[in-house]
Amino acid sequence: MRVVVRAVSELCITVGTLIVLFVVYVLFWTGVRADGAMNHQIDVLQDRWAKQTAHPTTTPSPSTTAAPAPPAPYAAGKPFAIMYIPRLGFTWNKPVLENTEVSTLKKGLGHYANTARLGQEGNFAVAGHRRTYGDPFVNFPRLRPGDAVVLTDGTTWFTYRIDKGPYKTVPTDVEVIDPVPRKSGYTREGRYLTLTTCDPEWGHSHRLIVWAHLDSTQPVEAGKPAALRR
Amino acid sequence: MYGWIWRHLPGNVWVKALISLALMLLVVYVLFQYVFPWAEPLLPFNDVTVDNQ
Repeated sequence: MRVVVRAVSELCITVGTLIVLFVVYVLFWTGVRADGAMNHQIDVLQDRWAKQTAHPTTTPSPSTTAAPAPPAPYAAGKPFAIMYIPRLGFTWNKPVLENTEVSTLKKGLGHYANTARLGQEGNFAVAGHRRTYGDPFVNFPRLRPGDAVVLTDGTTWFTYRIDKGPYKTVPTDVEVIDPVPRKSGYTREGRYLTLTTCDPEWGHSHRLIVWAHLDSTQPVEAGKPAALRR
Repeated sequence: MYGWIWRHLPGNVWVKALISLALMLLVVYVLFQYVFPWAEPLLPFNDVTVDNQ
């Protein structure tokens, strides 16, 4: 009898400890790991861009009159841009990686692979975690029409302005990332941006969406866009 | 279970305590490095996209 009671109580203590450890992992450790991973992705990008800007002047292309070659497609799971949203905090900046796989979203925001490229005609759609993995979009509901979403790909600053949102929808509503998103209020083709995250904060029953249009662009040599200046 | 482990550890009380501490750290490491990363995607926090629900 005593052996049974002891075994059961030891089991209960073990399970309880496991649960506490798992909660610590989800709430705290994923954030620590994600912050490190995101900073690393941003470092990778800045290294790459530093090399890009150092080289082009030394190798002038012989056919400057020809149309520039189409840019290389984004490499899956690799970073290609940094996003800034002043509304989410002046220091809020996250790397944007290609595709929306689970392993990609652990390292930053994920660009829906089948949507438009940054700044191009169509819909540039990006997903991010609301909770866990650094909570990048924890304050997503604070976004308002008129807020700036600024991105850079190392050569150009793209300033998008939010037009509508946060709009709550269901996970199967794939039309929100269409080139002309349904329910967005846009009626014709344009250069749009869609952000998606989950709702409620810890759940997965719904999604929150915001839509923005490309407001202005400027080369990085011209300095930070007005939306990022304090 | 824990009593059984304690009895089978070698050495005196201090050595036993040291070995148990090391064992605990090892278990926590394995959990954080391998078990929890596997279990975490089974929870709903990863569903942030609209197509691969």
